[in-house]
Amino acid sequence: MTEGRLDSAAAATAFQKQWFQETMQRVRDGEPLVLANADAPHEILRALDLPYVVNQWWSSIIAAKRVGPAALAAVASAGLPDDSRQYDVLPLGAQDLPADVAPWGGLPEPRFAIAERSGDVTHKIFEQWGRRPGTETYLLSRTAAVPAPEGWWELVPERWDEVFGADRVDLLRDEIGELVTWLEERTGRRLDLARLEEILALANEQAEWNRRTRDLIAAARPLPVAVTDSIPSVMVPQWHRGSAWAVAAARRLHDEVAARIEAGAAVCPDERRRMMWIGRGLWSDLDMYRSFQDDFGAVFVWSMYLALAADGYARYGDEPLRALAARFVGLTDLLYVPPMSSSWYVKEALAHGVDGVVHLVADDTPGGELITQALEREGIPVLEIRASNADARATGTVRERIADFIRDRVPERS
Amino acid sequence: MTDPRRPVLGVIGNDVPRQLVLAAGILPRRLHGSWTAPVDERAAALLGAADAVAARLLAQVRTEPLDGLVVCNDSQASLRVFYVLRATMPELPVHLLDLPRDDRPAARRFVRRQFEGLLAFCLRIGGAVPEPATLADAARAERAVGDARARLRERRRAQPARVRGAVALDALLDSARLDPATAVARLDAAVDDAPTTGIRVHVTGSGHPDADVYRVLEEGGAVVVSEDHDTGDAAWVGNAVDGDDVDAVLDGLVARHFARVATSPTALSADRADITADTALDAQVDIALALIRAADEAPLWDLADQRSALAAFGLRLAVVAPVRPGAELEAAREAVGLVHGEAVR
Repeated sequence: MTEGRLDSAAAATAFQKQWFQETMQRVRDGEPLVLANADAPHEILRALDLPYVVNQWWSSIIAAKRVGPAALAAVASAGLPDDSRQYDVLPLGAQDLPADVAPWGGLPEPRFAIAERSGDVTHKIFEQWGRRPGTETYLLSRTAAVPAPEGWWELVPERWDEVFGADRVDLLRDEIGELVTWLEERTGRRLDLARLEEILALANEQAEWNRRTRDLIAAARPLPVAVTDSIPSVMVPQWHRGSAWAVAAARRLHDEVAARIEAGAAVCPDERRRMMWIGRGLWSDLDMYRSFQDDFGAVFVWSMYLALAADGYARYGDEPLRALAARFVGLTDLLYVPPMSSSWYVKEALAHGVDGVVHLVADDTPGGELITQALEREGIPVLEIRASNADARATGTVRERIADFIRDRVPERS
Repeated sequence: MTDPRRPVLGVIGNDVPRQLVLAAGILPRRLHGSWTAPVDERAAALLGAADAVAARLLAQVRTEPLDGLVVCNDSQASLRVFYVLRATMPELPVHLLDLPRDDRPAARRFVRRQFEGLLAFCLRIGGAVPEPATLADAARAERAVGDARARLRERRRAQPARVRGAVALDALLDSARLDPATAVARLDAAVDDAPTTGIRVHVTGSGHPDADVYRVLEEGGAVVVSEDHDTGDAAWVGNAVDGDDVDAVLDGLVARHFARVATSPTALSADRADITADTALDAQVDIALALIRAADEAPLWDLADQRSALAAFGLRLAVVAPVRPGAELEAAREAVGLVHGEAVR
């Protein structure tokens, strides 16, 4: 039997729209809005009960609503580059679009903009946010991946110092503490550590459900849920990490996946090739992920969103700020820095029985070649596509290239 | 002359406090790459979308006789070089120097630990524990380099300039590679017999790994009298602190780190623009010029602020970007045309 869209995906999408409306109402009522980069410690904002929007989530909405080109044009008109870090900069550009053009009426001006200084440009993008009327920016330091052990997924929930290095965790813990003070001074709110501990426990519970879901999908043949469904089912709750709703959503996804497997559901009943998508999602063309099923029996079984949610987020420890720092200190390094990244992708590819990999390598993501090499050493063919997922101008030929790749290099399963 | 028995520490990036390395009996030798050397295909593939100079640096590391290498986390390109070397060149001792940029208490503690780590790495590759006398000697030697760089700066900024920018940049680059005494002599020898006239240009944007582009600019009638990129006059060379022991010197160096305006990939655009305008004004330039290599994203984000800061003093900023691999000298020739065109407006 084939299956339609997951109820949990539809529910997550509906919840997100409702949450956005409620959040905007809170802001209209006078609460300070926070724009947080994906690598900022959101749990602090939740503990302080500050309404926040995640930069990259908003970026995905802008791209999905096909407003990306207009947002990039606004960036360029300010004298800033429109071909650098598009995924991170779309919300900055969209801020200057008319309300009837911006998605969902647009975002109010944030009171605070918070990011880690990742890469060469994030701090400059957030410097721009800090110049907008009424917005202040806070930057956290971003340290590099020393050490970078293989097999980190076994260590990271409890032995994070071995994965990231104690000095790095200490630095971010202390800086998060400084951020808390900065926010407290400006909002009059006070961080309740007991509340933060509760949030961290819920986030860990959410991660454990995601791990179980990932394991179910890895073992299932054929694939029971489309990645285009699992992505919103995982990512919307991820933006609400540490809430009771997010835990319930993660469990709902798990239960729905389990039920589908039990019922023998298949995204592609004629599944002949199992594909892995490494890199950010192609939000402007989500139909692409299912477009190779009819011609090739090729189905995307893996994206980083569920897998990282499964392996990357859980942190257990007695000191809440340090546990929180350990979650963020090297989260993206797990995806991009070899050998942490390469060993993990190989582990995931083997666990999911992947036959071929499409590897979207953005300009700001290092280590692409080493990841590709590691997979090919395991006999798994890889197609590298060098493009930004947020720039529709650069991804116009993706479908054709993937079709050629599958046809020429990914053998059918017997 | 370089002492052949002295261990050599290769340096990529602009964050190493040379005094500390010198005090450990190690010679810091900064590697700059080049504008025009061929880009090794394997190096480029390993680095991904990175500044071509990083790929050239990666190739240079593989051929330099080094006892160790420290890579500064002061740009994504450098960081990628570090990650690639760690994964592919296990025979070379490589150390990452990772310095936060925002001056806050936690960051100060971390920077201090990083400097301690750098010192420990120096010991690992054959250095010695610094003593008060060696710390003082290193400070004197490094200050002498700084003084010589200041003298060179004065000659460049004279009206008319007493040294061409290309000659000056060659000496500045060498001063980050040579032992201090030789560096001083090299810097002081950078003089032109005849006064150097032409359109006075301040150069910003990407770092210049060698003086090839300056030469093209100056053959075209410009004279580069100042720059704020991290391989020329703005490099962290010639800076030292006093202290009775290692702890005191480390504390002083931490303070110096946070007091400087770092390279574009780590600095705020407003700070970079201030440096550009202040330096250009001080050097009495006719125009500022930014050459920005493809995949060197950070300077692109500074341009709007730089334009605005320079305009406040009636100065224009000419921009050539992106400078693609293989087209560097063509870009320099394009810059010559822009400099002439903008300077006469």
